[in-house]
Amino acid sequence: MSKSYYRLFTAFLFVVFVFAGVSQALAVKVGIVLPLTGAEAKFGEIEKRSFEMALDEINKAGGIKGEKLELVIEDDTGRPDVGRSVVEKLITKDNVVMVGGGYSSSVTYAVAGVCQQNRMPFLVNTGAADNITSSNWDYVFRLNPPVSEYAGAIQSLLTEVIKPKSVAILYENTLFGTSGAKSFEKTCAKLGLNVVLKEGYESGGIDFKPVLSKVKQLNPDVVYMISYIMDASLLMNQAKELKLTPKMFIGGAAGFTMPEFQKNSGVASDKVISATLWHQVLKYPGAMDYFNKFKAKYNAATEYHGAEAYAAAYVIADVLKRAKSYKNDDIKDALAATDMMTVFGPVKFISYGAMKNQNKVPTYVVQWIDGKLELVWPANIATKKFAYPVDWLKTWKY
Amino acid sequence: MKTKNIAITTALAFFIIFPLAVRSDYYQHIMIIALMWVLIGSSWNLLAGYTGQVSFGHAIFFGVGAYTAGLFATKLGISAWWGMIGGGLAAMLVGLFVGWVCFRLRGPYFALATLAGGEIFRLIATNWESLTEGMVGILLIQTFRSKLPYYYIVLGLAGLCILTIHLVMKSKIGYYFVSIREDQDAAESLGINTTLYKNISLLISSFFTGIAGAFYMNYMAFIDPHIVFSLHYISIMAILVGIVGGVATIMGPAVGAFIMVGLQETFRSAFFGLAPRWTSEAHALVFGLLVIFVIMFLANGVVGDWAKIKRKVFRIKA
Repeated sequence: MSKSYYRLFTAFLFVVFVFAGVSQALAVKVGIVLPLTGAEAKFGEIEKRSFEMALDEINKAGGIKGEKLELVIEDDTGRPDVGRSVVEKLITKDNVVMVGGGYSSSVTYAVAGVCQQNRMPFLVNTGAADNITSSNWDYVFRLNPPVSEYAGAIQSLLTEVIKPKSVAILYENTLFGTSGAKSFEKTCAKLGLNVVLKEGYESGGIDFKPVLSKVKQLNPDVVYMISYIMDASLLMNQAKELKLTPKMFIGGAAGFTMPEFQKNSGVASDKVISATLWHQVLKYPGAMDYFNKFKAKYNAATEYHGAEAYAAAYVIADVLKRAKSYKNDDIKDALAATDMMTVFGPVKFISYGAMKNQNKVPTYVVQWIDGKLELVWPANIATKKFAYPVDWLKTWKY
Repeated sequence: MKTKNIAITTALAFFIIFPLAVRSDYYQHIMIIALMWVLIGSSWNLLAGYTGQVSFGHAIFFGVGAYTAGLFATKLGISAWWGMIGGGLAAMLVGLFVGWVCFRLRGPYFALATLAGGEIFRLIATNWESLTEGMVGILLIQTFRSKLPYYYIVLGLAGLCILTIHLVMKSKIGYYFVSIREDQDAAESLGINTTLYKNISLLISSFFTGIAGAFYMNYMAFIDPHIVFSLHYISIMAILVGIVGGVATIMGPAVGAFIMVGLQETFRSAFFGLAPRWTSEAHALVFGLLVIFVIMFLANGVVGDWAKIKRKVFRIKA
């Protein structure tokens, strides 16, 4: 009796070990750091969903050289210190071969520092502050353009159509907000625009009326805002309540392209324009497909953050397929040699100016028209004509 | 007395052996953070628990310590480890100033003044960009790749802090602190210079909190004003650590630190990935419920009401 029991036990142990071995051998683990809770959770959600969608497709198509790709998605809660410990956990406990994700600039910057120190290849999804790729880190690669280039398309729209004389810049006091505001200020100086006000507000703030009344008094032609999601919605809602009517409200991407912005602000979001890095009608293979699949699966619209994450998953898969081995340096070399087409456009990491391992992405301008995010600039690829000038009071149904 | 000695020896042995037995960087990291909170919580407890001056602004000292260490490295070009002394001293200096302003007020007014102080320091650090880099923060490269040196450094600091507070509280000064807490006017009438002793308590408290900040800079190697001057994650957390563990007990904040850090990580990782994601959304709710529970049923914290817990939960009669 005891002998058979012993045998059974051995057999059981054997099975356990085989399974442990199998599951380890058949999956390549990649860590993904995203804000799944906290103020930036909506961005985390759209990116996580897109990552998971791409992951399904990649694994259905055979995975990575016969192995499954596994994404270990961890919550950074929007805090750099948490992001830091999360990525350490991914590296040391989960033994991931590379790291992806990275939403807010502050978190991404801290995570990138850890990755560089640990020689862990990091493909940054979104984190946009310039210093993430201008710190001369060779293990950090970025899909998203630096925030200083966000206003590219806005710039030509300003000079060719809106022709403003004065600008007010409002930004959230975070790494992303401050660096975006600084570079837009430079853009304004270059264009000869008068910056009448440049004011940061606290993240998590809910009452923007004091600063907006100041703007109203100064009466600038353009109000440029660099905000995440709740602040973007509240800014527009309260601008509407104060009947603040400049020639144009411009958002510096991030919150202003998210479906939740339109949901929270309703008519107050109408005719607001924003910089963007992507739109589903762009002539990239699979762009429209991705948009439709996302809509079918999650019953929600997607935008550039999602497209970035979706593309990032494919870049990661491509890199792992090309890498000589899963050693850090081999993956880093494969990342550096990336040259592929994605739904987010061509991806290639180059060094220029102070930037290192930076993907070049053209920017576009979108406008919320009747609840839909329409591509309005450059004019030759626009889905709708840029609605301008805008009678705000009529738009807001006063 | 003897069982107490055995308990202390066992605890010490456990903490010394822990990182050698558990090699995972992840668990070592959580232990390091918990030990750092032992340091902060104990410092807070000296001022709030023993001296009765409830501070809602310990982030001031933590942040000043962290920024001192960071600025040593970025502005002076010397090792951020010098901040372990400099950060403590800078925090004391700021403590003197805070005491000078806030000790004119009592009770809730003192608490509100420290709360405002914390926000003021955060705004200064955010906007004085030429000095602090503002929201860009300060990023250093860690000195050690291994967690072990950090672990033993913070273990030593936590031990030193608890020992110091223990000795202070056994001395005459300690009795002055308690008398101020119990009745400031009565203490004054007995000839105790209450302002002086409140400041002494604040200085010791800010010194150790500043060291904790400097350690944080060295260990995490990244700070920005929102992290180290955070009302929510530093000042309030210090209070929670103290309250849950046990106000005005030597070991209370130490126990509270492990409970709070453990809970925080459990929820952040959604029960280490075992529970659905939404559970991590519930962490603020659970923290709130925990505090309500502790205040209602264990007003003296886990350590202060240990006898009660033993009696009620484990059915052990004292």
